[in-house]
Amino acid sequence: MEFTVKSYRFNPEIDEKSYYKEYVLNDFPGMTVLNALMKVKAEIDGTLSFRRSCRSAICGSCAMKINGITKLACKTQISSEIEKFGIIKVDPLGNMPIIRDLIVDQEVFFDKIKEIKPYLLGKKDYIEDDFKALKDGEKIKQPVYYKTEFQTLTGNNDTPNCILCECCYSECGGVVANPKYLGPAALAKLYRYSEDPRDNDKNGSRLVNGSKPAGMFDCVLCQACEEFCPKGISPVKTIVKMHEKAIKNSITFSKGAKHIIGIARSIQETGRLDEIKVAVDSVGISGILNDLPVAIGAGLKGKMPPLRLKLIKDMEDIRVAFKDLNLEEKHD
Amino acid sequence: MINYAYYPGCVAKESGKELDNSTRFITEKLGINLVDMPEASCCGGGVIDGFDHNLKLYINGRTLALAEKLGYDILTICNTCTLTLSEVNEELINNPEALKKTNDYLSKIGLKYSGKVKVKHLLYIIRDEIGLDKLKNAVTYSLDGVKVAPFYGCHILRPSSVLKFDDVENPSGFEELIKALGAEPVSYIRRTKCCGFQTILVNEVTSTSLAGNAIYEAQQNKADVMVTPCPLCHLSLDTYQGVAAMNINKELSLPILHLPQLIGVALGGSYAEMGFSRHNISFRAVMSKIKQNKLK
Repeated sequence: MEFTVKSYRFNPEIDEKSYYKEYVLNDFPGMTVLNALMKVKAEIDGTLSFRRSCRSAICGSCAMKINGITKLACKTQISSEIEKFGIIKVDPLGNMPIIRDLIVDQEVFFDKIKEIKPYLLGKKDYIEDDFKALKDGEKIKQPVYYKTEFQTLTGNNDTPNCILCECCYSECGGVVANPKYLGPAALAKLYRYSEDPRDNDKNGSRLVNGSKPAGMFDCVLCQACEEFCPKGISPVKTIVKMHEKAIKNSITFSKGAKHIIGIARSIQETGRLDEIKVAVDSVGISGILNDLPVAIGAGLKGKMPPLRLKLIKDMEDIRVAFKDLNLEEKHD
Repeated sequence: MINYAYYPGCVAKESGKELDNSTRFITEKLGINLVDMPEASCCGGGVIDGFDHNLKLYINGRTLALAEKLGYDILTICNTCTLTLSEVNEELINNPEALKKTNDYLSKIGLKYSGKVKVKHLLYIIRDEIGLDKLKNAVTYSLDGVKVAPFYGCHILRPSSVLKFDDVENPSGFEELIKALGAEPVSYIRRTKCCGFQTILVNEVTSTSLAGNAIYEAQQNKADVMVTPCPLCHLSLDTYQGVAAMNINKELSLPILHLPQLIGVALGGSYAEMGFSRHNISFRAVMSKIKQNKLK
């Protein structure tokens, strides 16, 4: 079968702007996108630049956008892409500056990995913080992590299996919105260390630091990291687990934590999501005042939600759920 | 008539009532009977897992049990409700421990769940169960000449391990429906990207830039209107459109419709019936154009 590879090209030394170049190839059974790119480089155009190494979905070097979705080129079959899209269009990873052709500058990604301290903290490493430390010898509570349950949820809880390929980072809606956001790979790693019983994180500093702006509560929950991870890891589920763990350990200074608690409190009280109350709980009165033009605009259009919500029918059922789970007193 | 247990979600009952009203308008015309569940609670807005995972199972297990008691599958009109209920359903069906724990709670309130209910979004109920031919035949005002940008949003597609309505890499259900109404779907990259709603209260500037960039791209591709199957996306895209425009420093003025509103217009719904006056960006100019395309 004859097919076309349409590749993003840009060499800052000679090109004023980027362009696409097409190469026509013939496939062979089992041919991958990386095979195709290597064929282009070897036989048609030696100037085409891209990272690659193991060809076995282990090193993570050949991640790139293939027909708009970030994938490992070595793990992506030509036949399935052609069947779906009719072409092999390749672009460099998103959310990182382009160095040349399909090669991006990974520095920002690895800086974020370093930022979460991706190693077990020793006695001298643990971080002093303004967060009130627990008593001597007391460890942060691990109230929610059941390994079997988590495995059932994700099909794979092996966050250490991350190969740092940057597929999740490239697809992350949170990083698109806020380039400072730590991103899924770094946060999955933060989770991995925050769960490790050998870690000497005496005062919950990992969760405290992770709760700061541009941390775990900046996740937009778009699910792209889980969807496009070539190793079956779900960073978003680890992020949500950390939300739960932070809140259960009273690390609730962030707007994101307040937002989640606000929704839970609203459900406990009415069975519904009280849009006004959740907004006030999340950002406070000053935050609401900042948003006054939006609120007034919506109000003028008749979109102001009711100030007092009617309870759902059989509201007592919901109270039983909160009581059963011993969650009632955690709203203060 | 096909019966469904109707789960509109909270926004469609509060700030986004036009979504509930237009859903009732079109379902009646398409032969779908919505059976209300006044006992159903909020699903947790996509974040309740971050408060307590078991609470997510209990309150949504209860909603699934209510539908099972009625004997109907659930019809949703919100992406996030769709994902949350689907995730819980998946877990209850595949994890006996979670099902037992949830049923222990449900037994205290006189309910039981055995995993028989399916959770389906209106978009795919129309495509897969009502059929696009039936929709086409019900059209009284063709949307011929109207360029519609479909904005899928996240929680109707991802994660595909739970949501199996469409091809997550290259979905087509929305475009097929738009074509059935006589309109032209606009192709643009951000149709499957995030609207940023989940962090709108956490970080408004960055979150609205996601919605802003999607609107801008659709405008650049000559869209007359953008349509979404999710009321949370609608809030980001319509209510916050002015903020988004400021944050990305671009001029934005694109009407944003809920999915049933677009269908409703094609089925003869008036401006008032569809509740367009409740939107931030006016749909009047496009509506006038459509009203000239009367078929029946």
